Amino acid sequence: MVVTISKMESLAPNAEVRLAVAQCFRTLTTSTDTKDIITTLHTLHSYLDEGPESRSSSVQRAEFRRAHFSRTLQFLVSNIQADWLPSLTAAQRTELWDGLFLKGPPEQALLVLMDGVGELRAGTNLDHVVSITEKFLQRGRLADLLWSYCLQTAPSDSPQLRETLLARIVALPDLTANRLHLKNKPLFLPQQYYPLLATEMLTALERTCQALKDGTDCSLTFVAQTLGKVCIQGHSGLVLAVMAPRLSVCTRSDMVWQRVCWKLLENVPQRWMESVLTGLVQAVNGPDALGRIIGNLALTNKKAQFVITHKLLLLQYKYETRVLRTVLGHLAADRERRPLLIQVLRSLSQAWANPSAVKHTPLEQQLYVSKALLLSVSLLRDAELQELRSELLQCMLGGMQSHLDSSVVRIRHMGMVVGECLSSRMDINNTKLKFEYDQDEETRALLSLMTPVTGDEPEAEPCERVSVVASPRETPSTQNVPSQNKSNTEPDSDLDSDDELAPYDMSADEKMSKESPPRYLRDCLETLMSSEDPERVELSLRVADGLVRKNVFAAREISVQLTKVLLHMEDKYSMTGFLSVRQAAMVALTVTDCIPVTQYLTSEFYSLNYSLRQRLDILEVLALAAQELSKPTAEKRDPSISIAGATDSTPYPGEDPVHWRHVVEKRIQSKTKRLRQGVTRPPAEASPNRYAPVAGHFFFPLLSNYDKPQVTFDLFGGDHLVLGRLIHTLGLFMHLAVNAPIAAQMGCALLDFVWSVRYHVDQMVRRGVLFAVCSVFLSMPSQNLLLDLSEQLFDTRTWLADVAEGDPDEDCRSLAIQSLVLLDKSLKRQLQDQQALSTES
Amino acid sequence: MSRSAPSPIYTLRGAGGPLNCLHFSCHGGDTPLLFSGSGKGAIHMWNLNTRRAEKIVEGHCGSSVVWVGTLQGSETLVSQGRDMQVCLWDLSEGRSEVMDSVCTGSVGFCQCSVLETSPGTRLLAFAGQQTEEIKIIELPSKTAVCTLVPDAKLGMVMCITLWQPDSGPGPLLLAGYEDGSLLLWDVTQRAKLSQAKAHPEPVMCLTFDTKCLRGISGSSDNKICSWMTDRQNNLQLQDCVTLLNPGVSQLCIRGDGKLLASAGWDHRVRIFGWKKLRPLAVLQYHTDLVLSVAFSDHQDPRQRLLAAGSKDQRISLWSIYNEAADTG
Repeated sequence: MVVTISKMESLAPNAEVRLAVAQCFRTLTTSTDTKDIITTLHTLHSYLDEGPESRSSSVQRAEFRRAHFSRTLQFLVSNIQADWLPSLTAAQRTELWDGLFLKGPPEQALLVLMDGVGELRAGTNLDHVVSITEKFLQRGRLADLLWSYCLQTAPSDSPQLRETLLARIVALPDLTANRLHLKNKPLFLPQQYYPLLATEMLTALERTCQALKDGTDCSLTFVAQTLGKVCIQGHSGLVLAVMAPRLSVCTRSDMVWQRVCWKLLENVPQRWMESVLTGLVQAVNGPDALGRIIGNLALTNKKAQFVITHKLLLLQYKYETRVLRTVLGHLAADRERRPLLIQVLRSLSQAWANPSAVKHTPLEQQLYVSKALLLSVSLLRDAELQELRSELLQCMLGGMQSHLDSSVVRIRHMGMVVGECLSSRMDINNTKLKFEYDQDEETRALLSLMTPVTGDEPEAEPCERVSVVASPRETPSTQNVPSQNKSNTEPDSDLDSDDELAPYDMSADEKMSKESPPRYLRDCLETLMSSEDPERVELSLRVADGLVRKNVFAAREISVQLTKVLLHMEDKYSMTGFLSVRQAAMVALTVTDCIPVTQYLTSEFYSLNYSLRQRLDILEVLALAAQELSKPTAEKRDPSISIAGATDSTPYPGEDPVHWRHVVEKRIQSKTKRLRQGVTRPPAEASPNRYAPVAGHFFFPLLSNYDKPQVTFDLFGGDHLVLGRLIHTLGLFMHLAVNAPIAAQMGCALLDFVWSVRYHVDQMVRRGVLFAVCSVFLSMPSQNLLLDLSEQLFDTRTWLADVAEGDPDEDCRSLAIQSLVLLDKSLKRQLQDQQALSTES
Repeated sequence: MSRSAPSPIYTLRGAGGPLNCLHFSCHGGDTPLLFSGSGKGAIHMWNLNTRRAEKIVEGHCGSSVVWVGTLQGSETLVSQGRDMQVCLWDLSEGRSEVMDSVCTGSVGFCQCSVLETSPGTRLLAFAGQQTEEIKIIELPSKTAVCTLVPDAKLGMVMCITLWQPDSGPGPLLLAGYEDGSLLLWDVTQRAKLSQAKAHPEPVMCLTFDTKCLRGISGSSDNKICSWMTDRQNNLQLQDCVTLLNPGVSQLCIRGDGKLLASAGWDHRVRIFGWKKLRPLAVLQYHTDLVLSVAFSDHQDPRQRLLAAGSKDQRISLWSIYNEAADTG
């Protein structure tokens, strides 16, 4: 009996509300009387107004919110073009019409508003809805929305509805931008909206903390979902830039905040965990803040563990060193997490030492892994180090070997630095490795990782108070500095008087040598062959280049002999710039007496008993000589200029004979009118290319003997450094031979040669191969390309496309793309020419 | 950003021999002059406006001229040759006649030093006939004032300079000897005031800044050493500058006390700041030993020149650090 009555009572208000709402709708559709409309709207408002003066009961209100609010709003939006709406005053409209959207359950309002934005056609009505949406965001309704889900007062909705709501919240900038195009409001732009969303989430979290302190239960699932969804959609930077500093500050002293943060991250769905974590480690400043925010998430959540210990350290190598410090410091900071650090160190050292990784992964990734390895080693305690010692030693020895074997200088440096750091950290019988390498930015950065950052970095407090206090403190100090300086300089200004005289360049000041340099090439040769006097040898070597060029006939008589002497010369006296001086002399010889010297050098390249250095020297000399020959000969100097050059003092202005002539000429030039268009100077005088006739002598002998393995020289085995240089040099010869008649034959031969090594393991060789292919496409006449290489071109294209896509080395990829472009261009030109020819004929 | 190395503004050729000594006379008269003494016994009088030799006098029988100087503006020229003669020339009104000559008896290279004591009378110091002997006579009377001989064996006298201190009563004399010692003599007391061993090798040249009582000496090794005399007239060695190549034939301080120039055996003239001996420039032009340097005594500091005479028979003239000269 009681049950039925209560049912009756509960049914009755529901029906009553339904009836009332239906009545309202009817009035709003049919009535034209403004007064009626206003009363009706007031009635609807009465269901939303809280407080004692409200005309409706709380049951009625709850029913309206549950079942009729959405309907009402939808009705309003669909009748937005009704006649009565314009007849209301602006104040009435704002209060009665707009107010409805801002009062009721925010999730329903937001859904209706977003639907409205999506459906309405552009016009004043759309503008109206947009402005309500703007107000909705400005009044902090998003925070109310999130908070209502925290309290679980929101009706137990279906998962679909929740999904839709999430999508609307997260994608609001996209929806509005798609709809409004250029009329989009600034508030809807991602740069403003996502920080707003972040502050609203923070507000919700803050209310949660307060509620927890008051003993109310809350659920963070919806906020966590929102965070996850925002991050996965790629807005983690904007959102976490606002949230992370605030969370870091709040969690400092407040345990409730910490628990709320941990709970929040636990509730982030698995599939979005990665993007939240990667965003977070970039946004926080320092391992401590990260630890306070995520707690032991890495231990409890498998996905998080995988991201932190594996993905961030080994796979995604795009992050700054700061992120590495944060992640590894986080792992090292807590006793429970330390096993993870050791596990990470194991996998890092394996990854670092893996010889195939050294060969096949991009350099940037290797650098990243090296950094991570050094950081984690520096974080280890001595006891832990003892445990891991044998493993680390293994890793160090193997890894260094594979790094030092590499032909890329940066990889070798990396191996050396990591080896040095590991050995000094492990302290093996007090011995340390020490390598000689040039310090550059990269090695210094790596070395600096071993020194821990002293003291926690001061956390940027988000409150402005600090900066306000700091700035006046700074200003007096900056004022102090110059005054101190002044007082410092004043007393001994007399002593400083030398400083006002700026010194001239004194780099030309050198030690005088007692010996005079040889004047004849034969003397020079004699000295180089037989003298034991370091000074004379040095002088002879230094003048050899000039002597060869000065007296071509004398040089031709002894060119091969002198080349032989120079090639076998060693830096016995550790001269400064020995290599370059010797090289210059050899290049001069090759240029002056091209054919015999190239014959000699190319035959020596493949012969027995030369060191790798000497073979590389041969290649370098040949390459430089070919370059010099292919340049147009230095034009004859203007006679007036040579006069000026001959006077041994720089002339004073006024006594310089060229000067006035120059002035007069300039004056004439300025007064002369030229009616011709285009170049006023005569075109550069044509001079024969000295390289073209001898290109074959440089090129073909080097190709003839490559497959004859010798005891001391295995081009296709261990000596891939030389192979890489050889192919590169051949490519250079090819490139310089552009327009030479022999280029077509050279191109065919070169493509044949490089075909067998196109997938060589060493990236230097691969780079050389790609360079050679590029130069073939550049230098070979396009008709020959199509005629002579037609069957190879297809294979070459496939191979190049493959490299462009999949080669681990960045240079290789870009070179491959370049060659593809060149090939296409060349082929296109050829086909067009053929078409042109056929249409003409 | 350092400026590129300077080059000479002009050169004077045709001296026909190594240029042992240079002397500017630019403050009086209308034409600035440069006197040079050559190894062939000729004294050239260069007009710096026309840049030609205005007059050439030969008075030392073809033997090398080691020192030239002027007295009373440029009216009287003093020259010293390896023929053991110091000659006084009358140059006024276009004349060039030997007025007087003094026989020194020294076969060494030591340059004389002259000091005006009162208008018309002056002291001339020169190395004497004995190895370590310095003689001082009064001119024009040619009466011997004193002979200074050290007690210890110091070798030949290499260079001397005579000056009148502001505080003391009589003139003082600084002398550098073959064993590298520097001696400070009091001329009126005829006594040695102090001694310092500045160099391991013979002192080739010295110059003294009377304003700050600080001097510098060069040797045949690669160091130049600065020293100063304190109130008690003690010689105190100060800092040394190591040169890249050994051998300095002459040192010269500019009139404003800012620059020091050294004539090097390495064909180069080096410029230092005189206060701290900071290297400022290396002047490269000559192809043989530089034997002499001199700063001009122009009244306008912007016109000041530096001249360097070399064994390659040329004189190079340089204009250096004249822009910043606000205090003459």
